[in-house]
Amino acid sequence: MLGRGLKRKLSDYEENMAGLSSAFDSSRSLPYPLKRQLVLNMCLTKLQTYKMLVEPNLHRSVLIANTVRQIQEEMRQESNQQPINVCPGITPSSHSYAGAESSGISLQLPSGISQQESNCCDLRSVEDPIENSLLIVSDDDMSSAISSILKDLDFVEDISPPTCLVPTGDDQPKFPENTGLKLEDDRQDLKGAECVFGSFEISNSTSYLKDLAIDDIFEDIDTSMYDSDFCCPPLMPPRPPSLATEEPLKTFPSCNSSSASNIQICRTDLSELDHIMEILVGS
Amino acid sequence: QVPVLRPMDLMVEATPRRVFANAHTYHINSISVNSDYETYMSADDLRINLWNFEITNQSFNIVDIKPANMEELTEVITAAEFHPHHCNTFVYSSSKGTIRLCDMRTSALCDRHAKFFEEPEDPSNRSFFSEIISSISDVKFSHSGRYIMTRDYLTVKVWDLNMENRPIETYQVHDYLRSKLCSLYENDCIFDKFECVWNGSDSVIMTGSYNNFFRMFDRNTKRDVTLEASRENSKPRAILKPRKVCVGGKRRKDEISVDSLDFSKKILHTAWHPSENIIAVAATNNLYIFQDKVN
Repeated sequence: MLGRGLKRKLSDYEENMAGLSSAFDSSRSLPYPLKRQLVLNMCLTKLQTYKMLVEPNLHRSVLIANTVRQIQEEMRQESNQQPINVCPGITPSSHSYAGAESSGISLQLPSGISQQESNCCDLRSVEDPIENSLLIVSDDDMSSAISSILKDLDFVEDISPPTCLVPTGDDQPKFPENTGLKLEDDRQDLKGAECVFGSFEISNSTSYLKDLAIDDIFEDIDTSMYDSDFCCPPLMPPRPPSLATEEPLKTFPSCNSSSASNIQICRTDLSELDHIMEILVGS
Repeated sequence: QVPVLRPMDLMVEATPRRVFANAHTYHINSISVNSDYETYMSADDLRINLWNFEITNQSFNIVDIKPANMEELTEVITAAEFHPHHCNTFVYSSSKGTIRLCDMRTSALCDRHAKFFEEPEDPSNRSFFSEIISSISDVKFSHSGRYIMTRDYLTVKVWDLNMENRPIETYQVHDYLRSKLCSLYENDCIFDKFECVWNGSDSVIMTGSYNNFFRMFDRNTKRDVTLEASRENSKPRAILKPRKVCVGGKRRKDEISVDSLDFSKKILHTAWHPSENIIAVAATNNLYIFQDKVN
């Protein structure tokens, strides 16, 4: 079911996609590069959607990432056979990829492009809804996109900072466009990284608390003032050191949505601990 | 007021007897009880852990495929099962369509397999979705322990443990979906994980499909049948009528065309009684129990 040249709205995107995929399945006249571009677009959209889930699916993400790599490799080989490189001159950054609207922001492509690629590019200049909904992404964009997505899938098990974190210019902006936060110093960067890396943690905050001996949580609390006979109301409930490092999380409420689960876990833990503290302090 | 005893329907409440927690970082896809009835294993996307039933706070990690750099991750574990008789042997399947058989006696961490089962790709069936549909959703040993059966998106395969380079049998579950892969990818159905089961004598295998259909394949006669688990189409105690999906051309009466299949009605879970011809089929939120015609 092809578009009829109507102006496409964002809400029509899903309808369009369903129409496109059935066009893919049923039509034999769709040229191969177009089919490939369609699949690629679907893959990237899915990866982007999965990134924002509370519990992303590692299995699916890996399968889709592999499909993207396969298409990328194929396009790379084709471009190697062509005299001119594919899409040079585009700033490689997952930033621009991640922020691109699914309605299809077309990247500026240079004019001197091989015939095969120009088929895709030229079509875009025509008011064709299929082309307008396709996202033509450069090689580097895809590589850095896949890298950032797979890095996000990692889970930091140790307390120590992850060894595979290599902050480069490309990988730094892991957050989607709507955060608008600037991570200024290293400590904040690390906190940000831990937010991102926690995105695949199974959110089982309740069992976490159940299995921890309650004593362990309060190990570091100085309870000496409560042991003495006279009543000395504390100015502030003493907080264990581990909580202090989680304070920055509270101050970045609009942190990366893929780490929303992490923040929710932290917040649940903090609010439950607050509750317990209130009971202890009797306030 | 004096309390009155009121008869009520039986209520079943499930309560956990033991909780084995905090050993898995990723989504758990399988558990399998060992033939020693003392241990069992649980598998997630990247790791497999061995547990003792009596010890809930500790497990042994026996498989770990997590790469040092997550960017290098290209394959995950999808299912795992212990051998029915040899308590040191187990298999696990992957998202790339491969099966590894491991022996726990060789080393504590079974990262190196004893056997590696993989079928070479059929170039004529190659598509953008080839890898996705090759991902194995279930792996089951035969009761005899001589074969393993795997389920991927479109087929069920039977492998002989002594032959690693290809399956000995391949059964098409719903090959008519091969031309719909893009649509099925778009609506995520392509990621559905179907299970597969053996009957007690390992002569028949069964797996689910869409539209509340499930399929049975007789390995000896090579005959297969499609049946439906739904209340609308069968009365209790009535014999199930075989179904047919019309692929193209003229649709006969009682046949269903591919385009009218309901992909929200999927049968992912089925079970076969270990010795009787009684099967259980889970269709969305209904459980069906079917048995052989009683004469």
